[in-house]
Amino acid sequence: MSSHVHEVPPAGSSGGFEVSPAVRRAAMVAAVVGLGTLGVGLALYPARALSSLLTSGFLFLCLGLGGAVFLALMYVANAGWFTVFKRIPEAFASYVPWGAVPLLVLVPFASKLYLWARPGIMETDHLLHKKAAFLNVPFFAIRMVLMLALWAGFTWVLRRNSLKQDTERTEALTKRNVATSAVFLVLFGLTFCLAAFDWLMSLEPHWFSTIYALYNFAGLLSSSVCAITVAAILLHRAGALPQLNTSHLHDLGKLMFGFATLWAYLWFSQFLLIWYANIPEETAYFIPRMHGGWAVPFYLNLVLNWALPFVLLLPRPAKRNPAHLLRVAAVLLAGRWLDLHLMVAPSNMPDGAGLGMYELAGIVGVGGLFTLAVTRAVRSAPMIPAGDPYLVESLHHHT
Amino acid sequence: MSASVLIGYFDSEEKVLDATRAVREAGYALHDVYTPYAVHGMDDAMGLRPSRLTWVCFGAGLTGAAAALSLQYYTSVVSWPLNVGGKPFNSFPAFIPVSFELTVLFAALTTVAAFLIRAKLFPGNKRVALPRVTDDRFAIAVEPREAPADMAAAEDVLRRHGAVEMARVEVAS
Repeated sequence: MSSHVHEVPPAGSSGGFEVSPAVRRAAMVAAVVGLGTLGVGLALYPARALSSLLTSGFLFLCLGLGGAVFLALMYVANAGWFTVFKRIPEAFASYVPWGAVPLLVLVPFASKLYLWARPGIMETDHLLHKKAAFLNVPFFAIRMVLMLALWAGFTWVLRRNSLKQDTERTEALTKRNVATSAVFLVLFGLTFCLAAFDWLMSLEPHWFSTIYALYNFAGLLSSSVCAITVAAILLHRAGALPQLNTSHLHDLGKLMFGFATLWAYLWFSQFLLIWYANIPEETAYFIPRMHGGWAVPFYLNLVLNWALPFVLLLPRPAKRNPAHLLRVAAVLLAGRWLDLHLMVAPSNMPDGAGLGMYELAGIVGVGGLFTLAVTRAVRSAPMIPAGDPYLVESLHHHT
Repeated sequence: MSASVLIGYFDSEEKVLDATRAVREAGYALHDVYTPYAVHGMDDAMGLRPSRLTWVCFGAGLTGAAAALSLQYYTSVVSWPLNVGGKPFNSFPAFIPVSFELTVLFAALTTVAAFLIRAKLFPGNKRVALPRVTDDRFAIAVEPREAPADMAAAEDVLRRHGAVEMARVEVAS
């Protein structure tokens, strides 16, 4: 990592970074093959293919939303350190409309995935009958479309204002983004709760946990900071971001460490209260997940998402070493997938489901889609936001 | 025991950083550098080794966790087992909140105490208070070698890097 200060690019250099065509081709093949395999799975093993699509679809949508949340948090905090690599969270945010597609695909197949959507269930299940006014496919679809549209709108505005600043070079655009971010954060906090309840928690329609959305929000923050770090290091290595220095990485490392710990705190807050109270209607969620085929993934989840990253990121030099950060980010991202897999898959496959072909197809397929969207955004806008008033502060960032 | 140090006062962060590097390059031992706020890059300029305080913190945290876990295990499994809602005596998840709190408490208090002791900040220890370093001045304390000519050379290094004022002070070493 270079420590000296680089020249700010002149105004009007509008081209982005040319991502290697091999990467783009690989992402395209991954998206086609992965989503194609899921399409076949939809006919053969619908519950498994849909679980995989929901897990991966939600994971990557959260990376996109996480990019927007990261930006919004930085804007409202008047932070300047991240400006050098702000095009990365912006590129992630540009995935949100793409990421809506895998989730919208779930709607016509809801009856194969969600117990409450099964024909005839409302007549036989009294508890679900009481929730029928909320848990029905048309209202579910309306809520999903509205939330996705709201997020796509806000992420589009945030990115557009930032790109406009490259040529207009006015502070007013930063101020507009601060206001937009403040509104977005409030609306996002509320709608994301709803999304987590709707798309994930309603897989267990008899069960409920009020901390569930917050716990998912911690996972969103942890995984998106990891993905931003990975993208920043890879782009730096590819020569697109020579201005990234060790101090930027150090701060990203601290955020990874902090959000991994926040995740563990919220995971444990949910678990402890249910374990301690030991009420059947609440423990029904954990019993299938802690026994049989799900026992090993259940404990592995804690190791990948907290124990291992905590130890690996504790020393100061660890957070300043790009190769080390890449490894820890890989562990945390794998952990995030496993965490979501544990929320989703046991509902329809109580006996266990490992990392099989359909799970891989989901990761590869939606991951390919995500890579396509991100590389497209990276190519279309200059890597360095030359008009951002915080750029100089960010170039000199030193911890 | 006391030693005579040369103090150079500066009026900006950049100058004090340059002067600190120059003093070390000229071969003088730094007694310390005093600044009104934490100056980025000062650790490098002073050539400080990485702080060992982190190890104190880590060790104290582990001690706290071990103490909390063993106390809870002893009281609820060995000394006075009680059946609470049919749960096992060794109810590990229930021990975690207390262990977490004690880990943080031990780590925080021990680290602060270790810092104060190591920096000799305790009652009875007379420290020289430099005027204005808590306000708008940056001060470098140099330990020059004994020869008077050497003192003059050290003053020269400080002056060349923009010292606005200089003084000779006796300090406890």
